[in-house]
Amino acid sequence: MDSTAADAAVAGPGGGPAIYFDGLSSRRQEVVVAFKEALEITADGLSPVSSQVSSQVSSPISWAYSDIRRADSGPGTLRVACLSAPSLARLEIRDAAVAAELMSRCTLLGENRLDGRGIAKIVGWSLAATISIVVVVLFAIPLAADRLTPLVPEAFEQRLGDAAAVQLKTVFGGRVCDTAAGQAAFSKLIDTLRKSADLDLLVQPTVLATPIPNALALPGGRIYLLNGLLAKAETPDEIAGVLAHELGHLKHRDSMRELIYNGGTSFLIGLLFGDVTGSGAVIFASRSLVTSSYSRDAEQNADTFSIDVMQRLGRSPKAMGELLFRVTGKEGNRSLSILAGHPLTEDRLKRMSEADRPASGSPLLTDTEWSALKSICGPGKS
Amino acid sequence: MDQVSFVPQYPPPLPPVPAAFSGDRGEFFRLAARGAALELVTVGFYRFWLVTDIRRHLWSHTIVDGDAAEYTGRAKELLIGFLFALAILVPIYLVYFLISVEAERLQGFASFPLIVGFYAFGQFAIYRARRYRLTRTVWRGVRFWMDGSGWAYAWRAMLWGLLALLTLGLIFPWREAALERYKMQHSYYGELQGSFEGRGWELFKRCWWLWLLSPVAIVLFPLAPFFYAEFKAREWRWWLSGIRFGGVRVESTLPRTALYGLYWKVIGWFMLLSIVTGAYFGLCGFLFAKISGAEPDTLTKSIPLLILFGIGYLAMILSLNVVMRLYLQRDVWAKVSGLLQVHGIEAAANVAVRGDLASALGEGFADGLDVAGF
Repeated sequence: MDSTAADAAVAGPGGGPAIYFDGLSSRRQEVVVAFKEALEITADGLSPVSSQVSSQVSSPISWAYSDIRRADSGPGTLRVACLSAPSLARLEIRDAAVAAELMSRCTLLGENRLDGRGIAKIVGWSLAATISIVVVVLFAIPLAADRLTPLVPEAFEQRLGDAAAVQLKTVFGGRVCDTAAGQAAFSKLIDTLRKSADLDLLVQPTVLATPIPNALALPGGRIYLLNGLLAKAETPDEIAGVLAHELGHLKHRDSMRELIYNGGTSFLIGLLFGDVTGSGAVIFASRSLVTSSYSRDAEQNADTFSIDVMQRLGRSPKAMGELLFRVTGKEGNRSLSILAGHPLTEDRLKRMSEADRPASGSPLLTDTEWSALKSICGPGKS
Repeated sequence: MDQVSFVPQYPPPLPPVPAAFSGDRGEFFRLAARGAALELVTVGFYRFWLVTDIRRHLWSHTIVDGDAAEYTGRAKELLIGFLFALAILVPIYLVYFLISVEAERLQGFASFPLIVGFYAFGQFAIYRARRYRLTRTVWRGVRFWMDGSGWAYAWRAMLWGLLALLTLGLIFPWREAALERYKMQHSYYGELQGSFEGRGWELFKRCWWLWLLSPVAIVLFPLAPFFYAEFKAREWRWWLSGIRFGGVRVESTLPRTALYGLYWKVIGWFMLLSIVTGAYFGLCGFLFAKISGAEPDTLTKSIPLLILFGIGYLAMILSLNVVMRLYLQRDVWAKVSGLLQVHGIEAAANVAVRGDLASALGEGFADGLDVAGF
């Protein structure tokens, strides 16, 4: 302890000892502060605090009370900075009486603290941001997806489809079924549907040898029929309905649109919120709610397309619904309908049954062609 | 040798000064709990303010030679840095998407190497984030600062990472030493330049047996927390003891078992919270079935019940967050800084200010890419 500083320190309201850092060096100086017009900082009550730059004649330091702000410090210390001083200049007061006196004189001491109003502002802005994101996800991104999809060049969609096809084959083991007779029947079926639908897309239909009962359309005109679905089918009309549904997706360019939509929403939601605390789960739930409603619309449209095509061919649109029902069973009790990406199977079957009329057109495939298609992946294999 | 007596007599070095942590645990708990609740209300946006508050608390209660440090970063800087990082990441993600489409067309999952690009970007972010934190650290009115290049660091990290991969992690200690050397050589306290004297070999000697035993921890997984805690304590001690700023030398005396308790307490809390949440789920389901008389398999369809489950889940995640921050951030910090000695502090008695503030862009990248690092 510097004894002169301690002696000169007038305890109480007049002033007292403090520690001063000038913000230009790490030198720790014991000083005396005096409460005058402004807060005066001197080495011992009289002589000015020595400056780092010795040639400069240093005038006594005085800090206006309205410029003094509190800085973070450990317990038992009041640490303050001054707006008009170097930004890192600090005054530390450890004497409780002096600290209390300074606090009572500096009305704006805690100005840069986060108070209740500050927090309310953060909460308000966050809510506003959330609402605007919800609006963007619900309205702007679907609109953008609708408008952007026709603008995507066919060539790019083709490339996208190629990339997805490579992945798909890796996932499903990749064995393509191409028995000559089966392939001929398959092409005939697709061509009939395509002509009836007036679709002049280049369609590349493929059957993959996997027991999973499903069918899918990729961008760029690729249709995949998985053998598991073929094995469960009983009539050509059932498969025709499913293929028409997939053609509907191709016609509406649904996978492109869904890609833009899903990419946009995951990107926006995922990046902006980050995955902190449990909000990640809330975001995931709300996202699956939103995107599934979006894809449900696309499915509904593809179903309409399928019903339309089948009716024009004079065949039963109901057959597809029956096949789906055979595959999934009744879905109503098992999952939340608002979370499902497809409409519930029983609803789809009901809709297709309502559109059903007695068959007026000729069968789409002969019995021999049908059995050739059924055994496209080799005899007795499912 | 006897002739050393003519060596001029330097004043004997001052005894080392201890560092101390004076933070109140209850205060930190209230900070973390309130922050977690606000994070929920603001769907995560409060994280910038919470992180800043936590750092301000930890920094300002860390006392070296009688003077507490200060964190001068502000949450708004983090928010702006994050928004800037977002603006840069959006086009990068788009380009990434287009390139990966082309690559996938040639070969399934060929876009995997692109992930390496993101790893490099993450390393860059780690460097820049450290730079931000360091330039906001002030002690005795002088700030720390950092120069050097984030990309140069990312390259080093990538090459060392490749080596570590090839040697199954055996080379990890040398990687740590080399990267830390780069970081510390570009760190400064005012005009005092930093350096790192920890050697890879030293860390290797202390940890090789943990590396050998790590397969055991996979089989006997209750041992894993012990191994991890042991490794972390040794790593902390090695890292801190290697830090230099000019003539100032840091020494850590952290015992190797120091972190055992903390990790086990976190695991204990995790189990307790899981059990409580499980019981709450069961109770909700049971009461709901009783009241509505619905069949068990239709329960997952009821929206009120799902909302109750959601609330329970969120409560658990939030409490877990508070537990992790309390034990793994605050308690680790308090333990580590409480067992720190600083030698040659007189070299830091009159250090002139130098260096500029760095932007929070790096922190923004680190947030956007979900990477963390010192």
